[in-house]
Amino acid sequence: MGAFLYGVFLQWKLDIRSKTLLITCYIVPLLFFVIMGGIFTSVMPEARYTLIQSMTVFGVTMGALIGLPPSLVEIYSSDIKKVYKANGVPLYLGLALTNISAYIHLFLMSMILYIAAPLVFHAEIPENPGRYFISLAVFIAVSLSIASIIGLAVKDQAKTSMFSIIIFIPSTMLSGIMFPMELLPKAFGTIGKLFPASWGYKLMTENVFKFEHFLPFLFIFVLAAVMCNILLRKVDN
Amino acid sequence: MNDAINICNLTKSYGTHAVLKGLNFCVRQGEIFALLGINGAGKTTTLECIEGLRKYDSGSITINGIMGIQLQSASLPKYIRALEAVKLFAKWNKTSPDRATLDALGIYELSEKPYYQLSTGQKRRLHLALALTRNPDILFLDEPTAGLDVEGQISLHEQIRQLKAMGKTIILASHDMAEVEKLCDRIAVLSGGKIAFIGTVDELGETIGKHYNITIQTENRTETYESENIGTSLLSLLMQYKEKGETITDIKIDRGSLEQHFIKIAKGE
Repeated sequence: MGAFLYGVFLQWKLDIRSKTLLITCYIVPLLFFVIMGGIFTSVMPEARYTLIQSMTVFGVTMGALIGLPPSLVEIYSSDIKKVYKANGVPLYLGLALTNISAYIHLFLMSMILYIAAPLVFHAEIPENPGRYFISLAVFIAVSLSIASIIGLAVKDQAKTSMFSIIIFIPSTMLSGIMFPMELLPKAFGTIGKLFPASWGYKLMTENVFKFEHFLPFLFIFVLAAVMCNILLRKVDN
Repeated sequence: MNDAINICNLTKSYGTHAVLKGLNFCVRQGEIFALLGINGAGKTTTLECIEGLRKYDSGSITINGIMGIQLQSASLPKYIRALEAVKLFAKWNKTSPDRATLDALGIYELSEKPYYQLSTGQKRRLHLALALTRNPDILFLDEPTAGLDVEGQISLHEQIRQLKAMGKTIILASHDMAEVEKLCDRIAVLSGGKIAFIGTVDELGETIGKHYNITIQTENRTETYESENIGTSLLSLLMQYKEKGETITDIKIDRGSLEQHFIKIAKGE
């Protein structure tokens, strides 16, 4: 357990040293929050009721999909994995450590938004903070699970960025955080439902817990876990 | 005493290309054993099969002891620092790093440098330190001095000797005969997927026999001839040059080097 915790702490520090994760988990989401928060609340004053949720969905989606895969490619598509294996370190460790570390970073970024949005833009705090944070915790985990598939399946950094952006753009544009879902063309709305961002936004903005909005998360997470397991075995062989 | 490693009829193919065709050899405890061969001879494949990093097709491998492995091509996360890596691997293997060994490998000097800023030699020292975090009985070193400058090679050779003095069995893959001559107790030369020679460096030297190189220099050219019978060959060569009307300006005669002999064996000549 001590080794695992040291690994998490070390990975967390490595992520801070790596500018990629610092930019995707903190700088871009917070910059987006400052600019878009200002625009949203002045163009549509009612946006302050969902500002925390929309900015968080953007930040988490960005941090997970664009921030995590390069770290996984660095480990699993290079000689690092051989060094791990040769020296008695299990292969799943890299995946576990990068995920936990990214989880902590994304939760911290979400906390910053939760505290800053009411102060800067008079955003409304969610009615039930407990339920909000549980929904957030689930949303971060599911977003990271999809990012893990990209990081394990794609073998080079350039292709990873391409795949990440291909998933990131429709995730955010069609999730309802930019434009209300009901204003989107029906086809776009349906496509939006394929990505966890739209379900995350729904879950975090709801006043009552709806199990049917939680089910897609469960389905995506289980599917991603199975795929990551298969991909890890493939890497091992 | 048990052998540290025993290999019996080991075979491995990549598709239709057979790389190892029934290898048989053993490595004795406490010795420095070298696996030699030209590029593509199957040294790394053999090591990786023994290390458990690669699946083999048939045969058996018996290992008596804990293994520590320094790979030929190795890497670590870009921003990790040397001591952090050693600590992570040691914690994971439930050992504590030996301060004296880390000091000898110069790991403390590198403690603040991220991995990507380390030189080739520094990286090799770090990977050796990582291999030692398991407190191994058997240490595998794949081309340990490749890419190192002379100073780095001398320093690493000294560390390898110290590890032998500590009772560790060391297996190294190399194509550098000079390195092997300096360090190893026994060598095995791989050729065509089989062991072409196994024995001490002296025994390899003895197999050279009466082999000579005759170098003849004229005003226009320099030629080297190999010979098993120096008297007959030299006389015949002098006659040939005389018949061609070429004036010999210098003649050198020397015994073939161990390296030349190794290359011949490795190429299966």
